[in-house]
Amino acid sequence: MLLATTATYQPADYLPILIQLGLALAFVAFSMVVSHLVGPKRHSKVKDSSFECGIESVGNARTPISVKYFLTAILFVLFDVEVIFMYPWAVNFRELGTTGFVEMLLFMGLLLAGFYYIIKKGILKWQN
Amino acid sequence: MLSIILLSVSGLANLFLGFNRSNRLILPFVLLVLAAVLGVTVSGIDTHGALAVWNQSPYFTGMLTFDRYAQVFTGVMVLTTLLLLPFSQKYVRDGNANLAEYYSILLFSLVGGIMMVSYNNLLIFFLGVETLSIAMYVLAGSDKSNLRSNEAALKYFLMGSFTTGILLFGIALLYGATGTFDLAQMGNAVRAIPAADAGLRPMMHIGLLLMLIGVGFKISAAPFHFWTPDVYEGTPTLFTGYMSTVVKTAGVAGFFKLLFVAFGGETIEFWLPTLTAMLVLTLFIGNVGAVAQTNAKRMLAYSSISHAGYLLLALVALQSGRLSVNAIFFYSLAYSVATVAAFAVLKLVHDQRERDDYDGLNGLARTNPLLAFVMTVAMLSLAGIPLTGGFFGKFYLFSAAAQEGHIGLVIFAVVMSAVGIFYYLRPIMAMYMKPAAEGSDAPVFVGGFQSAVLVLLVALTVLLGVWPGVVEGMF
Repeated sequence: MLLATTATYQPADYLPILIQLGLALAFVAFSMVVSHLVGPKRHSKVKDSSFECGIESVGNARTPISVKYFLTAILFVLFDVEVIFMYPWAVNFRELGTTGFVEMLLFMGLLLAGFYYIIKKGILKWQN
Repeated sequence: MLSIILLSVSGLANLFLGFNRSNRLILPFVLLVLAAVLGVTVSGIDTHGALAVWNQSPYFTGMLTFDRYAQVFTGVMVLTTLLLLPFSQKYVRDGNANLAEYYSILLFSLVGGIMMVSYNNLLIFFLGVETLSIAMYVLAGSDKSNLRSNEAALKYFLMGSFTTGILLFGIALLYGATGTFDLAQMGNAVRAIPAADAGLRPMMHIGLLLMLIGVGFKISAAPFHFWTPDVYEGTPTLFTGYMSTVVKTAGVAGFFKLLFVAFGGETIEFWLPTLTAMLVLTLFIGNVGAVAQTNAKRMLAYSSISHAGYLLLALVALQSGRLSVNAIFFYSLAYSVATVAAFAVLKLVHDQRERDDYDGLNGLARTNPLLAFVMTVAMLSLAGIPLTGGFFGKFYLFSAAAQEGHIGLVIFAVVMSAVGIFYYLRPIMAMYMKPAAEGSDAPVFVGGFQSAVLVLLVALTVLLGVWPGVVEGMF
C-alpha cells in the first residue's frame, strides 16, 4: 500500500520546484551583474585592506574547562524528563489502581535515591 | 526475574555503601550478592522440562522469559563475574575513590547481560545490549589517568554507539517487515511472508543483516573486530576479563535465540552463507593475528576473536537444536572459566610488575609456581588440549557442526585451533623457560582468598575436561 501511493507521483510533478529554482538563480545572477555594472567604483588603501573585528586573541583555545556546568545540565535533563512518566500515569490513575500507585512510588523512590546519591557525592556543590 | 531485581537493588545499595568511611565492606557485599544470585538462578533451573519451552513464566506481557535457556546462561555469566571479582582486591587496597561505583556499574551491566539472554522481545534485547555496552564504555575508561585506558574508552564508545545505531536500524526494519517485536510472532510472520507479500522479503533480509553487523561487533566477530585489540589492551585487566567472557556469552546466546526462534527453517538459506563467511574470516584473523602479538592482553584479545569464531559454529549448526545449545553452553562455560583464570594471573602480575607483555611473565614458575600453573592450565584449556574443559567445548561444537554436514568448516576450525596451540604456548614458555628480569624477580603478591579462587578455577577447568557430564543435565 505504501508502494502504491508513492507510485502515483511522476517526475513531471516536480517541475514547479525546478522553475522556482531557476528563477531564484536567475535573480541572484541578475542582481549581481546589474550592481556591478551600475554601481560606482571608488578605491582607497584603507578600503582595500583586509579587515578583522574584535579584540586581539590571547593564549591557547585548548585549555581544560570545568565540566560542572555540563554535569548540572545533564542532571537537570535527567530529573526533568522523569516528569514525562508522571503525565500519562496521572491521566490513567484510576485505571491503573493500587498497582500503578505502588509502581510509581517505587519509581520515585529509585529516582530520589539517585538524587540523594548526587547530593551526597557533592556534585551540586559549585565551589569545589 | 529475581536475579535482575537482586542485582539492580544491590547495585543501588552498593552505591550508598561507598559513602562509608571504610571501603572494606564493598567487595564482600558484592561477592555475597553474586553468590546469592547464582544460588537463586541455579536452584531455579528446571532440568526435567523440555528444552523448547521458550515462553515459560513470561514477565512484562511476555517481553522477558526466564526459561531454562535464560537461567542457564544467567548462571554462566554470574559465575564468571563471581570468580573474576576477587582479583580486584588491589583497588580496595589502593583506596580507589570510585570503588563502589565500579562494582555497581558491573552489577548493572550484568543485568543487561541477563536481559540479553532472557528477552522475548527485540526491544528488551536492545535494552540489554545498551545496558551492557554503556557500562562497558565507562569501565574501559575507569583508569582515568592512563592514556591507553582513555583511548580504549573513546574508541569503544564511538564505534560501539555507531554499531548500536546499525543494530537498532536492523530491528526497525525487521519490525517493518514482520509488524512485531515479539520473537515467536516474528517467527510466524517470517514464515508467512512469501505467501503474503514477497516485497517485504528484502526488507527482512536487510534488517537481519544489519542485526548481524550489530551483534557481530559486540562479540567481536570479523570483519567487525578491529576495535578488540586496542580496547582490550587499554582497558584495566579486570574489566578486560569481564568483557571477553560475559559480553561474549550474552551476545552469542542472545543472537542464537533470535536466529533459532525467529529465523530457523527456510530463512536459514539466506543468512547461512553470510554467517559462514564471517566464521571463516573470524577464525582466520583471530588465530593468525594472535601469533604476531608480544603483549599477553593483545594475544588474549585476538584469542577472544577466534573463540567468537568457534562459537559461531554453533549458530551455523543451529538446526541441530539441543546439540548446538548444549555446545554454546559448555563452550562458553569452559571458555569463561579459562579466560578468567588467565586474566586473573595477568592482573596479579600487572599489579606488581606493571606490565602485561610476555616478558613480564618471565620466571613466574620460579617465583610463583601456583600462578604459573594456573596460567598453564588456562592456556591449555583455551587451546583445547584434552583433560581440560576447552577440549570438550570444542568437541561439542565440532560435533554439532559435523552433524549438520559442515565437515569443511570443522576441518578448517581444527586447523585453526592447531595454530592456536602455537601462541598459547608462548606465555607458558616465558613462565617456565626464561629467567625473570633483574629487579623484578620478587614473588607476585597473591592473597589467601585469591589463591583459593585460583585453585577453584583450575579445579573447574579440569573437572569440565575429565567429567563433562557434570553439567550435561542442563540441556
